Order: sequence, then structure tokens, then C-alpha cells
Amino acid sequence: MAEKRSFPFFPAFLIGGTVLYCAYRFNHALIPFLLSFALAYVVNPVVNNFETRGLRRDHIVLGFYSLIALCISLLANYLLPTVSGELAHLQEQAPVYFTNLQKLGADLQARVAHSLPYGRKAIESLSMKMYAPVIEQLQHVPGYLLGLFPLLSLLFLVPFITFFLLLDGASSISKGIQACPSRHVEQALHLISEIDTALGNYLRGIIIVALAIAAASFVGLSAMGVNYALAISVLSGISSFVPYLGAIIGALVGGLVAFFQFGTFAAAVKVVILFFGIRLADEALLQPIIAKHSVHLHPLIFLFSLMLGGEVFGFIGLVFAVPAACILKALLKVAWAWYSSEIQLNGPASYDSQGVPYT
Amino acid sequence: MGIPRFLKKFFADPNFQRKKAFLKSLELFTDLDNSDLGHLVQSLHSRTYHPGEVLFVEGDIGRALFILESGRVELTRADNGGKERVIYTLEPGEFFGEMALLEQLPRTASARATEKSQLHLLYRSKLEGILHYYPKIGVSIMTHLAQILSARLRRMTNAAAPEERTKAANG
Repeated sequence: MAEKRSFPFFPAFLIGGTVLYCAYRFNHALIPFLLSFALAYVVNPVVNNFETRGLRRDHIVLGFYSLIALCISLLANYLLPTVSGELAHLQEQAPVYFTNLQKLGADLQARVAHSLPYGRKAIESLSMKMYAPVIEQLQHVPGYLLGLFPLLSLLFLVPFITFFLLLDGASSISKGIQACPSRHVEQALHLISEIDTALGNYLRGIIIVALAIAAASFVGLSAMGVNYALAISVLSGISSFVPYLGAIIGALVGGLVAFFQFGTFAAAVKVVILFFGIRLADEALLQPIIAKHSVHLHPLIFLFSLMLGGEVFGFIGLVFAVPAACILKALLKVAWAWYSSEIQLNGPASYDSQGVPYT
Repeated sequence: MGIPRFLKKFFADPNFQRKKAFLKSLELFTDLDNSDLGHLVQSLHSRTYHPGEVLFVEGDIGRALFILESGRVELTRADNGGKERVIYTLEPGEFFGEMALLEQLPRTASARATEKSQLHLLYRSKLEGILHYYPKIGVSIMTHLAQILSARLRRMTNAAAPEERTKAANG
């Protein structure tokens, strides 16, 4: 009998620590690769589906990219005029919104001054305190806009890297397995399968949620006649990559736009109710389907991973905190499965009828 | 009218077709149609083993089924004196280690490639994935697996039966 092999905790710890340190040290260089990897994971089942029919992978990927390029060019015909129209409308309406805001402020001030004569000074001082930072921040707006340029480069870089990841497909895993020492192939496969299942299901799940939130909010906001419905729904969809943030951002931005547009609190409340409804529908209809196939994280671990990710890596850390926690959980599951099977914790299955002769 | 041959040749992946044709020839996957075989090929991991490379050692925990496409693999078991004894030499088209798909228990023999061999591995969680997403494929594989295990058990029972009858006759 061969000697029992214990789980290599020390090498695993060493490799894990090195990977984490490198990720922290070079996180800016890693971002396009992480995003491409996530995108490739989401698109890969589509490519695989055509591959099962015996088609060549390079042709499928090329065809897929051509189709996406065609869709983007067709959508651009619709989206560009809509977006530019919305921006022009914003420029046109901005003075009206500011006038509404000033009017509201003046109304509030008058009411407070009427019922609380001594409060007037306090309100004036508060207004000055609030205006000063806003004016200061406005001076930094060009800087913020310039800061978005690296993000634009991602729009070109991510599809480019994803193209090569999709072309390689499972062959990169095969190369890794080929390089793995022969006796450890089964264990390497165990690790790859667990991570693949956990990560793939999570990523596909959040993409479905993002699309559903964006579509539902676009329909709802358009039905209410709220301006910039497309921009708000896209923003809400993208924000939903960070759990719970999509509905909050949508309600906040949509509520503000509705308030300035219609000048009533009721309009803002309606938008908030819409996003609350979307959140409930997501929780009741989508999450049970998505969570059924993905890794379940304890809410506290979920929260802790978000806080840690945000603290160490900023916004990108928030986006990737939960997938990273999923990978970690998958690794721990593999380590436990290895340990329990090696020491034969559960032992062979026993059945009452196993003593009955073969008939 | 079918797709012209030159188009088929241009779009079809010959390596993928070869794998599908090979799997179709195995008794374990004989009931699967073309599309099912496509899903199965994507669930398998391939690896080339060089002569002398050890696939697993007796006592290791089994986690995958091995299918031999080309080359030769021998199964050995240690006797009471600890000496390795060849119990079977696998030919292309045969598979082994199927018990790992049912339970994670120690391997009862060691496996070593004696020639350059191409093997396909079906990992346990991949089979679970197939059972979940493509129940038809999963049920077909499990049925054949049960039939193969039943045939082996019957053979063992028949082999043991004459000895038992002789013992009973001698009192």
C-alpha cells in the first residue's frame, strides 16, 4: 500500500500568499486581465455550445466577434442619437433644475424663518458650508473626466484579451494538466473542477442580474416618463455588479432626476418604489435560480469580503471581492475533501442489503 | 441537401470529430448521439503519459475514470511480500478506475503507462455536472456502468460457485 499523502498546507499557503501579494502590488496591470477572464467565463458556454456540434473553435470565436461588432454598430445607430439627445437635454434643462433647486431652498428657508426666526442664521451658515465644498468639487470635474480615460482604454483592451482567452479555451487547462506531475493529475482536476463550477455559476449569475435590473428599470422609468431612463438603467445595471448597489444607485439617481424634473417628492418616491420592487423581484425570482447553482456565502463573510476588497483594491476590489471569496471557499472545500478522503473520514458506504447473495 | 464537403472540412474540427468517433466506439457511451458525445468530449480532460509514468498508486484515493485511447497501461497489485504483480494490461478502447465515479475510496491497484499513451479522464464532479445539466447522457452512462459492474460480479460469482459446490460435496 502506498503511503498516505497529507494536503500540502504549507506550499498552498506560500503560493496563496505570493499570489495575493502580487495581486495587491500589481493590481492596475491585473485589472484588464481579471475583467477579460470574467468576460471569457461568461461567453465561453456560448462558444462551447457551438463546439459540441463539431465546429472549429477559432471560426466560432471569429463569428461571435463579427456578430457582436455588427450588433454594436446597429445599436450605435440607435444609442448614439439617444445618448447625445439625453446629454443635450441635460444641458438645456440644467438651468431649470438649478432654478427649481434654488426655489425649493428659498421656500424652505422662508418656512423655517417664519416658524423659527432665530434659525435663519443657522440655515444661511449651513448653506454656505454646503456650497463651499460643492464649488470646490466642481473645479475638479475636468480632472475626474480625464481620470475616466484609462477606463476607455479597457473598452478596447478587454475584448482583445478575451479574444485570445476564448480561442485557447480548455486547451490552456490541458497544457496545465500535461505539465502537472502524473500522480497529481486527479487532484489538479479536482481543484480546477470545483473552482470552475463556483466561479462560472457566480459570474453568469451576476451578468443575468445586471441585464435584468437594467431592462426592468429602463421599462419602468420610461413608463413613468423620467428623463435619462437609458443612462440611469445602464448605471443601475453596471452598479449591480457590486451586490445590492444597483437598486440603491438607481433609486438615488432616478429619484433625484424625477424630483428635479417634476418638482415633487411624490415623483421621487415613485422611482424609489420602482427600484424597491425591482430589488424584491430580483430576490424572489432570480436569486433562487442563480443561488441554486452557485456558492452560498454567509452574509457576514459576504459583507467582510466586500469591505476588505474595497479597502485594499478600491472599486475594482468591491467588484471582485465576492468572486474571490467564492474561489477561496472552493479551495477550502477541495482541501477539506482531500483531507477527509485521505484519512477516510466517512469510510465506504454501507447498505443493509449488501449481505444478500448475487442473484 | 447536406452541407458541401469542402465547407464541412473548412468548418469542422477534425480533432473533436476524432474524439467523438473514439468515444462512440466504447460500450460505455454506445447509446449517445452526436450532440451528447459533443457534450461528453467537453467534459473530458486529455493527457499524454510517457512510458513509466505512474497514473495512480494502490491506496491513492480515486477521483476519475481513465479511458485509454492509444498506447498501453498495466495495472499492478502488490502481493504479500510487497512485490508488484501485473494483474492486467489495458489495450486501446478500454477504461479503468470507474469505481472512483461512484465512491472516493482507495484504489485497489496501481496503474503505469508502458508505452506513450493518450488517456481521457472523466472527473467525478464533471459526471455530476452531466447528470444535472444533461440527465439523458448521465443516465445512459450510469446504466452502462451498472451493467458492467453487474457483469463483473456475475463472473466472480460464477468463478467462485464451483469451488463452493466442491467444498459442500466433500462435506
